Amino acid sequence: MEAKNFKIGSVTNLTRQIYRLELEGSFTTSPVPGQFIHIKVDDRLFLRRPLSIAGYKNNILTLIFQVVGEGTKMLSNKKKGEVLNVIGPVGKGFPINKNWKNILAVGGGTGIAPLIFLIDYLSHSRTTFLYGARSRQYIAFTALPKGVNYIFATDDGSYGHKGLISKTTSDFLRKNEKPDVIYGGGPYELLKKIGELSEKHNIPAFVSMENRMACGMGLCYGCVTKIKSGSVWEYKRVCKDGPVFSTKEIIWE
Amino acid sequence: MGMSALGVKIGPLVMNSPIVMAGGIFSYGEVNIDFVNYKKLGAIVTKTVSLKPRKGNPQPRIWETSSGMINSVGLQNPGIKDFIKNTLPSIKRDGVKVIISIMGEDEEEISRITRILMGEKNSYNAIELNLSCPNVNRDEIMTSQSPEMTSKFVKSVKRVCGDMPLIVKLSPNVTDIVEIAASAEEAGADALSMINTVKALSVDFKNNRIIEGGLSGPSVKHIGLKAVYDVYKKSGIPIIGIGGITSGKDALEYIAVGASAVGLGSGFFSNPLLIDEVYDTLSRFLRENRFKTLADITGLLNEKKKQGQNMGRNFRGKRY
Repeated sequence: MEAKNFKIGSVTNLTRQIYRLELEGSFTTSPVPGQFIHIKVDDRLFLRRPLSIAGYKNNILTLIFQVVGEGTKMLSNKKKGEVLNVIGPVGKGFPINKNWKNILAVGGGTGIAPLIFLIDYLSHSRTTFLYGARSRQYIAFTALPKGVNYIFATDDGSYGHKGLISKTTSDFLRKNEKPDVIYGGGPYELLKKIGELSEKHNIPAFVSMENRMACGMGLCYGCVTKIKSGSVWEYKRVCKDGPVFSTKEIIWE
Repeated sequence: MGMSALGVKIGPLVMNSPIVMAGGIFSYGEVNIDFVNYKKLGAIVTKTVSLKPRKGNPQPRIWETSSGMINSVGLQNPGIKDFIKNTLPSIKRDGVKVIISIMGEDEEEISRITRILMGEKNSYNAIELNLSCPNVNRDEIMTSQSPEMTSKFVKSVKRVCGDMPLIVKLSPNVTDIVEIAASAEEAGADALSMINTVKALSVDFKNNRIIEGGLSGPSVKHIGLKAVYDVYKKSGIPIIGIGGITSGKDALEYIAVGASAVGLGSGFFSNPLLIDEVYDTLSRFLRENRFKTLADITGLLNEKKKQGQNMGRNFRGKRY
């Protein structure tokens, strides 16, 4: 983990509230899919903001985020050439196994960011990507890697299946050959549903969790979530023990 | 070899630097953070350890405010026995002193935990007694809100820990912190850490709920400064000044009003180079104003020193 300055290479509005931020610089240890960075957005904000890494290639760190509050709003207004202080790469990434060849990725909203990095990383595998969004305008088409079988769902039915991506996932698993693994990212309810489907179909599943963070380095225990530990549970840090957890370990609220 | 200019003595505890990572913000010191410069750090205070494991509070535990943050971690820890077995051996030292923070529900419990800890007395350098967490038993009073209770708890620990330096952490949520500090001192405290976070609340209309906890960050700095100033005036033991330090100048302010050392908290989350900045500012201040040691400037602007040799010296604080 390092703390260093990155220069903004570009800020691109992909669609509606979704942006791609490219930062120029490099880490001594290359990030792996599922890891995130903790970014100092602005002096007016006391805390940093955690953002999933969506790509890291040729000294360009790519982030994809949606404007949800003050921090992401300020970030979307940044200009090329500005410098941002970054702590990273942080956290445990997605487990990867050579024997997992048939891969199912399920992402909702900007929960797709770590999955994009992962799919790029697993380019040799056969991947189906189930992508859910509010409506057609909220799908970041230009951010999606090629060579992947995509299935979309939108809440209003303006693109792909109508309804939640969790429903599409459930249908997909019923009708298709069983994937070797499910990777997920997105809203809590979606991750929870992935956990249920993983259990029902007996497929290992790993999801990238999110939470409010203060330190983002495993120091303050602010971002914890309930994780099974033997016959009991304990609060584990999303930033350091995660953000990726096996759905089997998570105690869902 | 004597101490370096920034070396300080907190009662019997000798540190190479006046900079302390305050309790609760640096885990137990076992997490390896590559960019922390241990050469410029004096001590690490661990997260508070209790006799039995504590699960801590439910989410939300962190809430950003306009000039700081509210936390409600609730002293999550594995309990003293698990801590000694699994965490104490992996605390990174590199010349940095280790201060174990402890809490107890009553005098018997705090004695027991101290006794267990004294069985490992060569593995750490001091004890901090946390009497002031705002996130536990929120509806009851905190020990450090009562001079009598403070005295009883401090005595219970000191009786067992003997020569082991004992630091007592105080809450700003009191009518008169000077009275509480005096009671801790009289009961045998070797030093004081102040202030703990300030009780606070945020309203979250998005979810129609309130967020309660302890406020930290720039918004509490002037509360901390006032507390240190008042206590230094009357007290004879060293103070570790804590609360809202986000720059070298902030640290200098705490020292000028009476702190012998400074604790960093949430400011470190915002600025990972804060340790270096504070250290370098303090070094530069001593050098440029021709002071030999940090002890020479502790309380420089406190009225306690009005008759002292330092008054009238034309130091240049505004440049920092």
